[in-house]
Parts: sequence; C-alpha cells; structure tokens
Amino acid sequence: MEIKADGSDGSLVLIKQGAEARVFESTFVGSRRCIIKERFSKKYRHPTLDSKLTLKRLNAEARCMTKARRLGVVTPVLYAVDTVMHTLTFEYVEGPSVKDILLGFGLVGVDEEQMADITAQIGNAIGKLHDGGLVHGDLTTSNMLLRSSANQLVLIDFGLSFTSTLPEDKAVDLYVLERALLSMHSSCGNVMDRILAAYRKSSKQWSSTLNKLAEGAADSSYIEAKRKKAHNGWLSFSSSALYVEVGLVSMLSTASMKTSDAMGQEKPKNLLIAKTNLYLLQS
Amino acid sequence: MKAFEVGGTTLCLALFSDVTNSKELLDLMQSATLEPEVAFLNASLIPDVFPVLAAAHKTLVAKSRGSLTTRTLHSELVYNFSGSKHISESLKRCGIADNTSYILAARFGASADEMVAIEKLIKGNEIDLKELEQRINQAQIQKHYKISNLELEISSLADAITCRIAARDAL
Repeated sequence: MEIKADGSDGSLVLIKQGAEARVFESTFVGSRRCIIKERFSKKYRHPTLDSKLTLKRLNAEARCMTKARRLGVVTPVLYAVDTVMHTLTFEYVEGPSVKDILLGFGLVGVDEEQMADITAQIGNAIGKLHDGGLVHGDLTTSNMLLRSSANQLVLIDFGLSFTSTLPEDKAVDLYVLERALLSMHSSCGNVMDRILAAYRKSSKQWSSTLNKLAEGAADSSYIEAKRKKAHNGWLSFSSSALYVEVGLVSMLSTASMKTSDAMGQEKPKNLLIAKTNLYLLQS
Repeated sequence: MKAFEVGGTTLCLALFSDVTNSKELLDLMQSATLEPEVAFLNASLIPDVFPVLAAAHKTLVAKSRGSLTTRTLHSELVYNFSGSKHISESLKRCGIADNTSYILAARFGASADEMVAIEKLIKGNEIDLKELEQRINQAQIQKHYKISNLELEISSLADAITCRIAARDAL
C-alpha cells in the first residue's frame, strides 16, 4: 500500500507567503478544496529552539481555531494537523476578504446595508471570542472573509491567538483592529464605532474592555504628545523639564502666549523665554 | 459498498443495519482472527462519511511514518475517529459492542473479493451510505464529542467532529 507522506492528495498551489508560513491551495481526501498552511523553519534560529517554537505555535493555532468554533464564531473547518511537516489543513472558504469589500466601498461608495451587516457580524464575533477568553491577536480586515454562499463572516489566521481573560489583552485586540481600519479604510467613515456598537451588544464584559481601550487611547496620545514636544526641540536642552506633565505644559504655554500677546512683543522669542523661565521654576 | 480515495489508496465503506451477529464479530476481532481485517464503527455516531475520511487520512499518515498508536491499521481508524486520546474508551464507544446492530464497516485498499467476504461476514441488511444522516443518535454524538448547541448554530455535526479528529493531538 503506497501512502503519500506529505499529507496532500492533490497538487499544491502557492497562494501566499508570509513571514511565518506559506499558504497553499490543494485538495483533501479526494475532492474537497482545501488550504494548507505550512510553518517553515527559520534558519537563523537554533534548530532545537526552532522546532519547539514551530510545533508550539502550530498546536496553539489549531487549538484556538477549534476553540473559536466552540464559542460560536465561524472559522474554517480544520481537516488535519501534521506535526511532522508542520502543516495545518483546513477548509477552503469561498468568498472575498472584508478588506477587499471595504476597499471596494472606498472606490464606488459605501453600500450602507452591507456595511451594517458586516460591521455587526465583526463586532458580534469579536464579542463572542473575548467573552470566551480568546484573543485573536491579529484582527485586521484581511483576516476576515465573507463566505459568499451564506454571507457569513469567517475569521481566519489564529497564528497569534492566545487565551486570556484580561481586559487589557482584549483592548489591545480591538486597538489593533482600530489602527488597521484607520490606515486601510479611512474613506469608509467610522467603521470602528459601528463594530464597537455590535461588540457592546454581544459581549457581556464590554464595559471593562472598552474602558481599557479608551485608557489605552488616552495613554498613547499622551505619549505621542510628549514625544512631539521633545522632538520640536523647544527645550531639548533641559533634561529635567521634559518630564513635566504634558497637561501642565500646555496650560503654561497658553498662559505665556497670552502674556506675550498682551505685552505686544515679538512672539517666538518671548514665548521661549517665558517657557524657559516657567520650566526652570518648575524644576 | 463504496470506495473513497484517501491519500493515495482507497477506503471502502459499507453500512449495515439490523446486524445480528455483532458479538461474533467482536470476538473474531478481539482474537485477531478476523479475515480480512476490517474496522467496525458504531454508525450511530457518524453523520457523514467525511469525518471518517479525515480519520482515515490521519491513520494513513501515521502508518506511513510507522507511528501507529494502536496495534493495527484498522483499530487505528476507530481510535482516530473517536477524537479522544483514551484508546480503550475510544474502541468501546466508536467501535462495536455485543448488542450493536447498526455498523459501518471500513477497509483500506480492499479488493472486490475482500468486500464480498466482508458482506458475508456481517449478518444484516446493507443500506446506502446516504442513510447515515437520518440514523444518527445526535444526543450521543454531542455528548461524546462535547459539542454544544452554541457550536451547532454555526457548524454542522460532521464539521464539528472533523475539527475534533484533526485537533486531537494539538490539545
């Protein structure tokens, strides 16, 4: 009895190559179209470490995908896991990615009805994942497919998923999505708000997660503001002054602006002097 | 009887209802005198042939690497179909018992003669594989594979079982 060890019955067609894996299209047990995801070895890593890491991630991905299904979130059906070849074989999902749909919206205008349907499904799916303690880890619109036959959202690529019940982890998950939406689909209007509205309906723990998300957003804008101040070179000579609270700085600078206006002196120079004085006072 | 292509060989499946000699079959199998060697599966746990084919695929890959967990290729099929790591429990639940009357027989790479021999071996009515779906014991399937109603909202029973068969060793 001759048996092929490569785990595939048909020809392999490479569809995509990423940093961690190659994705092929093939057929499984005769006639079913399938996707094979192969994690390849990294030559720059020590072989023992490499095989351990690859195996761990392969298993984690299989576990998270099936866990998502148990939580009622549609993911491709897992057909086989091969720990020797480091491959996962799963169902071929027929349909476009949400990324392509939204990019289409950007070109020809938003189909409100479809948009409402998609964002509701996304929010609902993420809510279910998070309530079940699963964090996707790589929520982008290219990791969401829309099955043509049922108009059903299918989440893919659980390669970075992990289980966690911390609101921080869930908020980061949503933050990643927000950034992805901003950079890719800003022409579609505020997609994130629609997704979050659905998320609130589906997740019972939405409040703590969204609080963390808001906190995180505040944190990051705070850090960004701080960095900008430093880069503008206003007071880069002063090391201690830079650590003054950002809120205080803006308050002081407006105050100094007002005084300079009132005195009617040359603005930039005066501002600099006023600010330096205030900083020195501070430190 | 129907043959399916799996991993470069075939898997022949035949479904029987009202089987009267399951005790005899079980004895033959346990004394390793079953001729030809064949796998008997508890068909009330099988909603579709696809999960069986996925289990068969897994079995063949293990065989090709010489890493079978159980003693024979055909017992490995039953074990793999169970989606559990507990061998004796798997064989008990997904294999046949003394009083099982509804059986799916499976053999890898069976010739026509062997299939005739298998049909003679089993005293029951051979029925079409399409009957699988209507004759399942859904409660038993959900209990054995731990499939919640939540999952069934988005998945068929066959897909849920396939996922468990595939992901067993990753858990």
